[in-house]
Formats: sequence, C-alpha cells, structure tokens
Amino acid sequence: MPLKLLKFGLSGKYAEPRMFRTPEKMRDTYDLVIIGAGGHGLAAAYHLAKDYGMTNIAVLDKGYIGGGNTGRNTAIVRSNYLTPEGVEFYKESVRLFSQLSTELDLNLFYTERGHFTLAHSDASLRTMRWRAEVNKHLDVNSEVIGPREISKLCPYMDLSCGGHAPVVGALWHPPGSIIRHDAVAWGYAREACRRGVEIFQKTAVTGIDIVDGQVTGVQTSRGPIKARRVLSAVAGYTPRITKMVGIRTPIVIQPLQACVTEPLKPWLDQIVVSASLHIYVSQSSRGELVMGASLDPYELHSERSTLDFVEGLVDHLLDLFPFLGNVKVNRQWAGMSDMTPDYSPIMGTTPIKGFYLDTGWGTWGFKATAVCGTTMAYTVAQDDDHHLIRPFNLSRFGDYTLVGEKGAASVGH
Amino acid sequence: MSESKRLPPQFGEWIDRGSPVRFTFEGAACEGFAGDTVSSALHAGGALMLGRSFKYHRPRGVHSLANHDVNAMFEDGTDTNIRADVTAVRDGAEYRAVNTVGGLANDRLRIMDAFSRFLPVGFYYKTFHRPMSLFPFWERQLRSAAGLGKIDGNHKRNRTPKRYDWCDVLVIGAGPSGLSAAIAAARAGASVVCVDENARPGGTLSYAYGSEPAAQGRLDELLKAAASLPNLSIRCNTLAAGYYADHWVALVDGGKMTKMRTRAVVFAQGAAEQPSVFRHNDLPGVMLASGAQRLLRRYSVRPFESPLVVTANADGYRAALDFASIGIHVAGIVDLRPDGEPSDLDERVKAAHITIHHGQAVYEAVPRDGLVGIKAAVVCPLDKQGELDTDDGLTIACDGIAMSVGWAGADGLLYQAGGRMKYSDEFEQFVPETMPAGVFAAGRVNGVFALDQKLIDGERAGLSAAKYLGLSSPSTLPEARRGPRSTHPYPIFYHPKGKAFIDLDEDVQLKDLVNAETEGFDNIELLKRYTTFGMGPSQGKIANANTVRVLARLRKQSVGETGVPTSRPFWHPVRMDALAGRGFHPHRHTPMHSFHESHGAVFMLAGDWQRPAYYARPGRSREECITTEVEAVRHQVGMIDVGTLGKIEISGPDAGAFLERIYTGRFTNLKVGSTRYALMCDESGVVIDDGVVARLGEDRFYATTTTSAAASVYREMQRYAIVWGMNLTLVNATGLYGGMNLAGPFARRVLQPLTDIDASETAFPYMGMREGTLADVPARFLRVGFVGELGYEVHVPANCAKHAWDALVSAGGAFGIRPFGVEAQRVLRLEKGHAIVSQDTDGLTNPFEAGMEWAIKDDKPFFIGQRSLRIIKKRPIARRLVAFSLGAGYHGNMPKECHLVIDHGKIIGRVTSIAISPTLHEPIGLAFMPAEKAAVGTPFSIRIDDGEMVAARVVKAPFYDPHAARQKM
Amino acid sequence: MKIMTCPINGPRPVQEFVYGGEYRPMPDEPAASDAQWADYIFNRSGEPGLSREWWYHAPSGTWFIAERDNVKDVVLKTYLFDRANPPRAGKGATP
Ligand SMILES: Cc1cc2nc3c(=O)[nH]c(=O)nc-3n(C[C@H](O)[C@H](O)[C@H](O)COP(=O)(O)OP(=O)(O)OC[C@H]3O[C@@H](n4cnc5c(N)ncnc54)[C@H](O)[C@@H]3O)c2cc1C
Repeated sequence: MPLKLLKFGLSGKYAEPRMFRTPEKMRDTYDLVIIGAGGHGLAAAYHLAKDYGMTNIAVLDKGYIGGGNTGRNTAIVRSNYLTPEGVEFYKESVRLFSQLSTELDLNLFYTERGHFTLAHSDASLRTMRWRAEVNKHLDVNSEVIGPREISKLCPYMDLSCGGHAPVVGALWHPPGSIIRHDAVAWGYAREACRRGVEIFQKTAVTGIDIVDGQVTGVQTSRGPIKARRVLSAVAGYTPRITKMVGIRTPIVIQPLQACVTEPLKPWLDQIVVSASLHIYVSQSSRGELVMGASLDPYELHSERSTLDFVEGLVDHLLDLFPFLGNVKVNRQWAGMSDMTPDYSPIMGTTPIKGFYLDTGWGTWGFKATAVCGTTMAYTVAQDDDHHLIRPFNLSRFGDYTLVGEKGAASVGH
Repeated sequence: MSESKRLPPQFGEWIDRGSPVRFTFEGAACEGFAGDTVSSALHAGGALMLGRSFKYHRPRGVHSLANHDVNAMFEDGTDTNIRADVTAVRDGAEYRAVNTVGGLANDRLRIMDAFSRFLPVGFYYKTFHRPMSLFPFWERQLRSAAGLGKIDGNHKRNRTPKRYDWCDVLVIGAGPSGLSAAIAAARAGASVVCVDENARPGGTLSYAYGSEPAAQGRLDELLKAAASLPNLSIRCNTLAAGYYADHWVALVDGGKMTKMRTRAVVFAQGAAEQPSVFRHNDLPGVMLASGAQRLLRRYSVRPFESPLVVTANADGYRAALDFASIGIHVAGIVDLRPDGEPSDLDERVKAAHITIHHGQAVYEAVPRDGLVGIKAAVVCPLDKQGELDTDDGLTIACDGIAMSVGWAGADGLLYQAGGRMKYSDEFEQFVPETMPAGVFAAGRVNGVFALDQKLIDGERAGLSAAKYLGLSSPSTLPEARRGPRSTHPYPIFYHPKGKAFIDLDEDVQLKDLVNAETEGFDNIELLKRYTTFGMGPSQGKIANANTVRVLARLRKQSVGETGVPTSRPFWHPVRMDALAGRGFHPHRHTPMHSFHESHGAVFMLAGDWQRPAYYARPGRSREECITTEVEAVRHQVGMIDVGTLGKIEISGPDAGAFLERIYTGRFTNLKVGSTRYALMCDESGVVIDDGVVARLGEDRFYATTTTSAAASVYREMQRYAIVWGMNLTLVNATGLYGGMNLAGPFARRVLQPLTDIDASETAFPYMGMREGTLADVPARFLRVGFVGELGYEVHVPANCAKHAWDALVSAGGAFGIRPFGVEAQRVLRLEKGHAIVSQDTDGLTNPFEAGMEWAIKDDKPFFIGQRSLRIIKKRPIARRLVAFSLGAGYHGNMPKECHLVIDHGKIIGRVTSIAISPTLHEPIGLAFMPAEKAAVGTPFSIRIDDGEMVAARVVKAPFYDPHAARQKM
Repeated sequence: MKIMTCPINGPRPVQEFVYGGEYRPMPDEPAASDAQWADYIFNRSGEPGLSREWWYHAPSGTWFIAERDNVKDVVLKTYLFDRANPPRAGKGATP
C-alpha cells in the first residue's frame, strides 16, 4: 500500500486541504480575464502563473469547474494526426499529459492503452498509411497493421464485423491513452489557485468592453471587471462570446453524444475506433465501456440525448463485439462541440487587441488541453502566437490556408 | 440454508405455488415459485446476504426490491449484472454474485472493509502516481478490483426486431394514479397505453396497503374499469427507459424495444423510497419499508422476524401493521417526528401493541458477526435542531430495520421531458413547476401521497391530456391535494466511526461527502464527480436525494438552491441487443451482382455498394488476376460494371446554363450527341467530384458522377436549381440504369452485332453519345476513355442490364472478353495518368494543384468555386500532382500509396497512386510535389516501409498512348 | 426521434432529412472584396437563436427552409424557398 494511504488511515483526521477556494469578492481589475473554467482555460491560467509569473488573473465560469466538455468527453488522448502541424501540436500535448500527474501532484489516471483506428476499406487503409507515415516522420509511434496483428492485440474483436464490413487493417498507435478528465481540470485549478489565480464559478460573462479595438473589460453576472486582456476558452459557447466582440468565425455548434455501460471486469485494454462504423469504445478504469459515435448532424445548442444515437452506436458496436449483447447501457449524455470546417482548432491572437481565442475543439480538443495551457499562456503573455499554434490562427480562413485534419479527427477523438 | 421464510398463501400474491422452480445460488440448491424474482426466492429460502458491495465488499441483502439499488447483482454463466431483485427466477439457472473472489460467503476481498479508513474519498487521485512508472501496476490492480460482472466472449447476439408503436396518451406507471389517469383519458376517447416496469399493475396498491382491506378492493375496481375500455392497454414488465424529443419514448420489455410515439404523456411513476443514513445502514436486514412490504405482499416472504421500524410518515405505520398482520413481532416504531403520526394509524398501531418512540432516530445498527446481518439498533432522541443526543442511546434488539423516512419522486423521465421542478419546503420534495406541452404528472411525482387523492390526481392528469388532444372533457377538472408530507427533511445521522452509507452502489459514505465538500467540491455536480455518488448502475435513485440534503446543510443553503444532478437516460440500464435490434445493414447490389458472384468476384465496399475489386481465379494471386484483367483490356476486350456511378438527367430550357454554373467547364456549346469531361468544385474551390456530361438533345443533358458522390451531387443540384430559379427538371437516374464499360481493341467488334447504332469511328467518334438498342433493349452509348482504349459505356434500364451484360459477354467470348474489376480499372487509368477524385485529391485540393486547370473555363460569368479560385490563383500554387516513374529497371521494394516524399529530412510530398504497369512493365504513379519540384525530370525520393528510400523521377503523363490514338480507333 | 415537417410531405421522422446548413444568400460576386468573399465562404452566424436553414427531405427530394429555435430544437415553421420573397439571412426572428 502506498505510504500516502497509510498516512490517511492512521491520522484519523481528514487532513486534505481545500483544492480550490472562491475568494469573497472579485477585484475591480485583473491583468487577464479567462472566460471558461474548462481544462483549456485552467491550463492557460496555471501556465501563465507558473511560467510567466502572471497571477492577477480571474477565471470565470458560468457553471462549475470542468462542467463543460472537459467533464463530458471520452478522454482519449493521442497524437496520430494527419498534418505535420497537427501532429507536432498534439505530440507536445501527449508529452505534457504523460507527465501531468507528477506536474500537478494529482493522479490523473493517465494510462497508455494503445489506440486502434480500424480500416474497413482500402480507401481508409490508405488514409491510415498517410497518417502513419507522417506520424513516424515526426517521431510519433504509429503504424498500419493487418488483421492478424489486430487479433493478437485484441482477441475479442470480430474482424469479420458480422460479415458486414470486414476489418482490413488498422492504424495502431501504442501511446493512445485515456485519463480521468475531471481530475485534469481539478489539478490545473488547484495548482493555479495555489499560485494566486482566482476562480469564480457560477459567474457568467455577459459582455466584453472594447475601446478603439482594444479590450478594456468584461461584464459579468456579478458586475463589471476591468481587464486589458481576455482569453475566451468556452468551447461550445464560443459563438456567443465572439458575438460580444463582433468577430465572425466558422464555428458551428453541434452536439456530440456519448454513453457508458454498467461496470464490467476488465477485458478491453485498447481504445478501438472505427470511422466507417462511426463508433469508438474504451473501458475505463472503473470498468465501464465508454462509447461514442459521430457528431449529431445539425446545429444545436443543447446537451440533450437522442435514442437514435445509442441505437446506431450499439448496433455497430455489436458488429465488432457481438457478445456484448447482454451488457447494459447505463447512461447517455452530450456536449456541444465547436466545429471548424477543417477539423483544426482556432487559436491565438485576433483582430481585437487583447482578445485571444482558444476554440474550434469540436470532438477532439480534450487531448489538446495540456498543450493549450503552454501555448496560450505564451501567446497571452507575449501577445504573439506561439509557433506551434501559428497555423491555427483565425486568419487562415481569410487566407485559404486551412489545415485539413478531417481524415484524422472525425469520429477519432 | 436456514428455515423457510415463505408464508402460507396470501391475498394478491404474485407467485404461482403450483409451479415450483429449482435453481442454485453460489452452488447451493434453492427453490422458489414461478412469479418469484431471484431475490425473493432466495430471501424466502433464508439467504439474506445476496451480494458484496462494490468497493468494501460488505454483505448486502434485499433493500428496495424495486431496482432502486443493485445489492443483488448476479451472473448465471451467460448473462451478467443480472438484477436479481427484479428478474424472474429461472428454472435450472446457476446464479452467482458478481464481484467476489472465492464466492459470496468467503469473498477474499472482504478485508477491504477493514482497509476502508485507508481509502478515503478520492484516494486514488492522491496516490499511486509517485513514481509514475509504477502507476501501470497500480492501475491494473485497481481495474480488476473495479468492475462488476465478467463478460462471456461466446455470448451470442440476440437479433430481436424492434417495434414501432403509437398512441394518443402514454401513461407511465400503473399504480393508482397512473391507472386512474389511463382510465380517464381512455373514457374521453383517447387511445391509451399504460406501461409499468413491474410484473403486475397496481404500484403501491400491490404492496403498501396490505393492512387496509378497503384499499385492496380499489385495485380490482381499477383493473375492471380498465379492462372494459378497448382503447386502453396495460403493458406490464415494460420499462419506459428514456424520453426523447417530440414524445418519443423507448419502451423495453424483456429483450425487446418498442419505440412509442405518443401525443401526450402522463408521468405517474410514483416515488422511490429513500433510506435513513446511519451507521451500518447498508447491511442485510436494513431495508426500505417498501422493500420489506414488496417481499411480504407480492411474494409472501417474511422480510424479518423482529424488525424495528424507523419512520417519519404514515407509510412506516402501515408497514408496521403489515408486519404485525402476519404475526411478525415488531420491535418498535421509531418516529423521527416529535409528535408522531397524526392519523388514526397511530391508534391502530397502538392497538397492535407496538411501542412507538417519538422524536427519536436510529443512530446505528449493531451488526452480527461477519456483518452478515444485524442484531440490534441504537436509538437516540432528536433535539429541536434535528441533532441526535447520542449520550442517551437505547439499544433495541431486532433482526431488521424497516426504513420509511421519505420519498423522492421518480421524476427522471419527467426532467428529460423538459419538466421543470421546484423544491417544496412544505412537502420536502421536488414537485413539478412548469411542464412542456403534452406532458402531465400525477400521483407521488406530483407530491400527492394519499390514496384517494392519487386517484383524483390521476383523473385530473388523464382528463388534462384528453383536453390537450382536443377531446371532450369536463370544463372544470378535479383537483387533488398534495401531501401529506411523507418525507423527513434530514434523516441523516453522522457517526464518528463512519460506515453510514449514502450510496450503496458506489460505497459512498456520509463522511466522504463531508470531506469532499471540504476539499472544494461544493456544488452537486462537482461532488458527484469527485465522490462518484449517483454514478453507479442504479444512478442514484436512493442516493441523490440524501446527498442534496447533506450538501445543502454543509453549504448552509436550501435544498432547492442546491439542486439535483442532471437526469439522463436510461431510467434503468438497457441491454445492448435490445437497443441494436436486428442489426440491419443494407448493401446495394447492381443488376449484374449474380454474374460477379458466379465469376469469383472479390467484392469491395464503395459506399453502400458492393463492387468487384477483381475476379479471383483458382491458383492465381490477386496481382496476377488483376494483371490478366488489365491485359485483356489492352489487348482484347474487357468489361466493367459501372452501374454504381451517379446518373442525373437534366432537362429544360436552362439545363445547359445550369450545368455551366455547376461545373467548371462549358456545356452550352456542347453538341447534341457529344460528351465532355465535367469537374465540380465546392464554393471554396476544392475539387469535389467529376464525371461526364452528355447532351441528349437541345434541352436534355445526362451527367455522371462518382459512385460516392452520387446522392450529394444530385441533392446539391436540386438546391442550386431552386436558389438560382432556373427552368429545368432533374431526375436522379442512378438506380434506374445499369451501366457497363466495354473497352479494348475488339470492343467495337463485340458491340456492333448487338446494336442498331453505327458504332464505327466515323459515325460515332470518340467523346460521342448515341441512343439506340443493345440486344433489343434501349440503351445509351457514351464513347469515353477513362481506361484509355476504344471503349463504349452503355447505360440500359436496370431491369434489362443483366440481359445486356450477358449478351455482351457471350458475344465477346470469341474475342477473349474478360470482366474486370475496380483494381484493374485503377491500373488502366493510372497508365493514362487520370486522377481519381478523393484518391489523388484530398479534402483541400484545388484544380490548379490537381493539374486540372484545363477543365476550368474562367470566361464564364459564374460557376461554383470560381470566385474562390480567382483568389487562390493570386497566390503561388504550393503543390502539384505529378506523374512519376521508378524507371523500367526497378525491381526493388514497392512504395505504397501514401508513402511520403522526403527531401533533406522534410516531408515535401506524397504518393497518391502507384502500380507496376503491366503494359509498360515499370512502376508508375501520381504524387503531390512542391510546385518548384514538379517539373518533368525532377528526381525525388520516396520513403517506404522500414525507412528505405526509393528514387523516382517526375515524368510526363500520360504514361501510355500519349496521343490517345487507341481511344480513337 | 424528432419530427420535421416537410412542406410537401408533412411531418416525418428527422432521419428522412438532410440538414443543409444555415440559409446564406451569396454576396454579389464581382462586387464583393476578397475578404467579404472569404467571410461568406467560411464564416457562419453560429450563435444560438432562431435560425433559418436549409433542410432536404431525401425520399422525395424536397428542399425547403425551416425556421428553428436551435437551442430548444423546436421547428417553428417550414416552407418552400421563394426567390421572389427570400428568407432573411442570419439569426433572429422574422420581422
Ligand atoms: C461527448 C464528447 C466526447 C469527446 N471526446 C473527446 C475525446 O475522447 N478526446 C478529445 O480530445 N476530445 C474529446 N471531446 C472534445 C473535448 O471534450 C473538448 O474539445 C474539450 O474538453 C474542450 O475543453 P475546453 O476547456 O475548451 O471547454 P469546456 O470544458 O467546454 O469549458 C468551457 C467552459 O466555459 C464556460 N462558459 C461558457 N460560456 C461562458 C460565459 N459566458 N461566461 C463564463 N463561462 C462560460 C462553460 O461553463 C464551460 O465550463 C469530446 C467532446 C464531447 C462532447
């Protein structure tokens, strides 16, 4: 038994300090207001405090810490993207994530499971190879494997897929991981608070003040705050915020749903994704199968669930794992995904001075939380886009220089 | 096992004593009756311990017997996580409890309970990660400790069809209020379906009113009234699992799902009884009073021998009377209320010689050895603040505690339906505040607890639903009184030694909530995520309400302000095979499918279509087969099924102008009887499709699309036709016509005898189009040259396509005709240097990059993508699709499609197509290269598997027949 | 399953429909600057509210406009596109 548990047990008293505290009053002025206490906002706050000594920061959330998509996602972390820009960026995130438990001194249950993206046609196999080649070039462990190797790694899978769409190969990415998503937000929040950042939950930003193209403050449900820098990290709420500052973006909100089964003894180690079947599944440390499918097909600012989603998902899941028929789905939920046309994020400086965007996370942004922390902190502190995120600036749409990640991001998470 | 707890036959029991059932539990022989659930049969046989808890492996027994807890989760060798409390016992079954090591009684993990003080809330977040290198080990330990049942890899999928159903009013819950609502709505003329998850209707009438003879007659009356209404059907064993938009409700019975569309819903699901929280409140013998009553009334099983009843409402008194009525000695009633029960139940209880302790509560249960049950309860007085005076405890011997301290409306589905609830301080319960259109609530979810009032409330809801549907109903509706208050505001008592459970599924204790709040998890959702209360299989049905009370108290705020965790589907978990149903995956077959099958075709999926990739021949490799097919086309004649291509007819005065706006090229000047290549971009200038447009007449065109884009191109054409207001008609002819491409030097000689058109080069030149007959069926002929030989693409009505195909095959026999598949076609077109949209282009490729400038006629006023392409053209083009060769002498390892072009350690390009040309005998391909390295002759290196570099050189396309002479023979 | 009302075929399950995106009139092509054009191509009025959008009833091939509250997912009305009287662009109630 680890020493820490012994101490817990023997001390008798519950000695754990508060992880995050809410100050009585908001100050009049902050150097920076971060909108959104999701993983991204909190990670940026933490790195600004730690790496740049900037601590006069307020993080505001209309709900609670990690209550947005950070607490709704299926927590898949991987770096086997398609474009060199994407791979470099997510690779850095995976590196940071793999050390994050130590960095934040909180066990985030980061576990390397290995990640399959199954191919059911030679066209998808081709895209897998493209990804594998780009990945390998950038030192990301990723390769195309055949059915025999898949079976060896995951003997339970029915590769004939019920005869419907046989698996012809897979992109295999050993570093693919899962993590306790909530804990990531809590860890960043705790460490940011410890360094003086103030977090206000149940505090909504209702307006942003701009004078001569420069941010001067925000309006909140608890009154105004002066600040010359504002970072918006609100994922599914981005269009509401960008409207406040009058900038237009390609972001469209669509729900992404997920569901879990009852807990089972461990049998599935890997994360299994099939874009053709529109499904993905992994087994959490608690034993539940955590499952998802593709994005809901139309714009909707709502976190409602549908029956169609779970019917379609389960139907295809049983093609791959027919014996799961008697396992029960416990709960379904949804989050609002901030989609971009090229499946890459929108990050960095904007035409408004002092207003920084961290959005376009769609169905894939949880895994970027760590690298968004470092790069957005740099960008805000220096008022200059970090080199890793330069390709993702909003200006790429005006320039027709999109970063096409659709082949690696849709259903892939 | 110990002596039987089965009672002699009782009024209204659900068991069939004529049908005994034999089964085993943990290896021991057991028996019960048909109608028993697994748990009721086991309890009847004296097995009080039915499971071990999730984390501490503490003994657990019957608690709610209503699927509001999962103390009894079994596996039977086939199924897992069987909810024994509500699953009919099966003859011959071999049940075991899940999640034990070495069996239920001797579960080796029961030592976890002793370690529990070392495992405080969220302990796993704070440990095991230093050093991180050891975490994978700990994670494996934790994972195998977690989880409940084991999967059975051999379990067969049950392909049960799903049903669709509809009704005017769906009533969920067949208790008194639900039945009353259903009857009222049906009497008003609505078609009504009333569902209940229990095996029989009746709700509380089937267990809670056992001691009241008058109440027992009510159920018969209701059922009789219901039976007389042909437009009302009652469905038992039917779970309303989830509510979805527009009154779409998932009903699950057994292994089958029915999707019910209703016009109005009445939620009458009653309430879930909530436990009192005290030390050892989780052990076998501590039950919800309603759970004990279910055992007693439905299954005629003695729940205990000498229980203590702890209560704060009339229901507890009824339970005590129930127990007394079958001769159980009630050790006393502990009433949390200082003044006790106001109704005549007080008198009746006293008449039964049951001692009542007013203003007291249970502080702890005293366990028996091994925690397998309890032997006494410690009862303490409550002061005005609701605190226990623990110095003044009274120990009362008992073998069980029946708890009836409060209820929480079973309002999960009501929330999902958009009902807004508010907390009523008067009734200490959330009650509906506003409801969306067509949604009604009745009975205990609505805060109505008295039986006569429930009947009235049901009637009100049923009539309201009828009225909402426009059916005649009285102008004034009856109105029921809420109450009496049946819920205590805080039946939760801290014990310094702990083990007072809030959530039985997850082994969450009261102190865990307190500690978590101290750590900052101070709103209900954060608290849930940190402590995991409410996340287990029963989704907090008997945990949420108490947790909210605890948090409200800790935060010094009201329960209403504290709020409840969001309710999400499902109400109870649903088997995946019920959700999946039959598993319906349609594939599309062309008319020639049977030919392909009988000629050894190996199929590949193209969207929903199955297309021959190649035709396998015995003893030949895939490559050899493909090469043979290629050679047949180059030297004799071959034929490929192209029926999957999209086919669209465009006719009307604006047809030509329309196509010029849709495609990048010109079509108004296309001659009747001619075809032209057509390239389509999206508005951002990205290449999205290509095909051929033929002019059938002055105002009639015929366009083909790629297989995968067939539906979307047609759809977008329809939209543009509307937006542009053009005068034309579009017909999606994709499925109307079969198609075949006859290609090779002998194509004309095969075709001519079968057709009435003149197929000669002069009469029907390359890029021409003719209409005529083929083997006596009407046909369209297009002279196109994707594969680079003399070729005729023939489209005939789908129902004649096989006939035409067969005719060509037999006519071609003399010329060595061979069917060829998609693979051979890919090689053939590559030899011609033709790009395939979506293989040689990606989601961002513009025509300049793809080398398709020639297909753009920018002197038109408009085409889709034109404006964007003009912007793009102002900038340097970064990459270009080039043809390359590895040289005739190359015999090394072959690059594959999507291998990268590497230059000085940088990715500069990518192979999009590659093949060893059977015609040229050299490896050829297409690749994206940087514009400055795209000139013919430029050498470059491809990195293949294992990092080997292969030298290639940009060459001029096409590789084969550069002047297209063979297409024009 | 949601119900969508096709102006031609009446109420049908939403599975029969394809979402066609927000209704966005194309700017005057020659007059628009490159920046205005790129804005039209890529940007969307993505905020919540009443949206006018294209829907397609696939079995019958009917394109139409739906006015939908995209927060509550309530379809307020549907009608065929009329060039003479086109829908208003952007979010917000019809005047
Ligand atoms: C079902 C589902 C599965 C997913 N699976 C994966 C996956 O496996 N892997 C992966 O990498 N990604 C996944 N994603 C995507 C990922 O969850 C998100 O991209 C990521 O969590 C976004 O984090 P965030 O911190 O930017 O936003 P959020 O966590 O959404 O935080 C935004 C916060 O802003 C707050 N806010 C909004 N408006 C205001 C306002 N006006 N004032 C104050 N506060 C405001 C919100 O309350 C919220 O807390 C998934 C998403 C979903 C929905």
